[in-house]
Amino acid sequence: MSHLLSFALCLTGFTALAFATNRQQRDIFGRLLRPSTTYVHRMVSACALVFALGILVARQGWSLGLVMFSGHATIAAGIVFCALIGRARTFGRKLL
Amino acid sequence: MKTDNDVQVAGRGIRQSMSSLHTWAGLLLGWILYAMFLTGTVSYFKDELSQWMRPELPRLSQIPDQAVVAQRIADELSDIAPGTSQWSIRLPDARNNSVYAFWRTPAGNPGGRGFGEANFDPATGQRVTSRGTLGGEFFYRFHFQFHYMPVVWGRWLAGAAAMFMLVAIVSGVITHKKIFVDFFTFRWGKGQRSWLDAHNAFSVFGLPFHFMITYTGLVTMMALYMPWGERVAFKNPAEQQQLNAELSAFIQPGKPSGQKVPLASVEDMVRQAQERWGRDNVGRVNAVHPGDAAARVAVTRGEAGRVSMSPQYMEFEGTTGKLLAVREDVGAAAETRGVLYALHLGRFGDTVTRWLYFLVSFMGTAMVGSGLVMWTVKRRQKLPDPDRPYFGFRLVERLNIASIAGLSIAMTAFLWANRLLPHPLEGRANWEIDLFFIVWAFTLLHALVRPAKSAWVEQLWAASALLFLLPVLNAVTTQRPLWHSLAEGDWVFAGVDIMCWALAALHAVLAIRTARQETRSQFRRKTSREAPTAVASGGAAG
Repeated sequence: MSHLLSFALCLTGFTALAFATNRQQRDIFGRLLRPSTTYVHRMVSACALVFALGILVARQGWSLGLVMFSGHATIAAGIVFCALIGRARTFGRKLL
Repeated sequence: MKTDNDVQVAGRGIRQSMSSLHTWAGLLLGWILYAMFLTGTVSYFKDELSQWMRPELPRLSQIPDQAVVAQRIADELSDIAPGTSQWSIRLPDARNNSVYAFWRTPAGNPGGRGFGEANFDPATGQRVTSRGTLGGEFFYRFHFQFHYMPVVWGRWLAGAAAMFMLVAIVSGVITHKKIFVDFFTFRWGKGQRSWLDAHNAFSVFGLPFHFMITYTGLVTMMALYMPWGERVAFKNPAEQQQLNAELSAFIQPGKPSGQKVPLASVEDMVRQAQERWGRDNVGRVNAVHPGDAAARVAVTRGEAGRVSMSPQYMEFEGTTGKLLAVREDVGAAAETRGVLYALHLGRFGDTVTRWLYFLVSFMGTAMVGSGLVMWTVKRRQKLPDPDRPYFGFRLVERLNIASIAGLSIAMTAFLWANRLLPHPLEGRANWEIDLFFIVWAFTLLHALVRPAKSAWVEQLWAASALLFLLPVLNAVTTQRPLWHSLAEGDWVFAGVDIMCWALAALHAVLAIRTARQETRSQFRRKTSREAPTAVASGGAAG
């Protein structure tokens, strides 16, 4: 259960982080978001990742928790990356 | 005083130097690194793969009581190896369905390697006869010591490759200009740019893992690479023995008394260990001089649930079963080594953690592979005549094909050999390995004689077909086809079969994309002849 929850939080964190980057804002929204909105995305991202780490460390201890968090964070970032590629490909095709 | 411009020029210079270092450190031993990464990645499931490669051994629906099993096998060993100076039993656990034991044989034993070994059925204690195979252990050993060469040479080569990898990682981080800004960037269909983005993604997402796995890989064999400190610090045998005690649960045999006294109850000893560490968390039982009055028994803790390979064991007097010592701590230096070692092996984790290790390590493999391919992609654009590249380019390109696509074929061929080679074949385990290398050599030959694009596509399709058909071969040649495994809840066999299909799909996608890339490149070349300005925007990807 802690794995699933932490992974979901990592996924949320990296999705928010992606929305906080200029390139993705231009690609997804066609414009840059307001600085305050970008700031909120960054905060959501940081909080989600810290919560994910907290859950794993609380359940598994520091050593196992840190290792598991590292794995979840990497895979979550990869999934967000692939989703962004998929979205860009789908959206690009529709435009054509 | 430096001006801003001077600083910028100096900064650019360092980045360019690091870029060159990254390129060449990654390339020179890149093919070896790719093989080390891929076989190392597979090794996270070496126990499961070993089970799949010994289908005669029945699945354990639940872990048997380790204390009872330990006594059973100890009794069996007293019959099989009476008078042995030492035996060691690895007990069954969630990932191992048999008991493995080895024992020393008396010196001068005819045909002797100095030890005997066998797998035992935990339920009966009888020796089990399964096909001769090294199982997943082959990939594990190959990834740090290779084959057909002295073990020490192989380990030195692996160390050199790991050192190159470490240099490539550090120089790559310095070279990457916008590591955070470009964190999620991927530009599709842009040739070299796309390859670079993919390489960056594989590298940056798994960067902590890639750094950790490379550094800890060097730590696992630090005593070989840098023995001088140890030689200075531990001069006499007693000090060496003390060092060994910090690193492993090996009990120094000492001298036997010559007085025959049977071992006390091994079951009771393991029972005490179970009370301390948990029912299913006993790893091994080691005995020295069993059957002698000087016998000692060590029961070691399992690897699950602790990120350290430092030894933890309970030592018993063999004849009485009296607890002599409990060892659960080592010095700070030894513990640092134990933690780094455990981080590399990843045996402490549950199934989810093992899958995380596997997937991130797979990203590392893709990082090395995409880096190798990018070397040719980058230079292909600058070739005066892409159809007639210079020797160095051709060499790298062909080695890339054999070491990336060819290795997939060879590894799958190893599994095919496991199912097809006859059981009574002399040296069967070695034949499986020989076939792995024969097939790999054939892929290199194929890459040398075929046009590069055709070789990529054909080898990727061949790997895909072999992987796709492997579960079919398993269904035909064993009593454990996929539908049976699913019905029985045998996730080791079902997992290997399903994973083969997933990897077959991956190779098929790569083959299709490579074939399409060829068509697009030809189209671009054709249109460039008609309209020379059009080619400037199109990168010929590999």
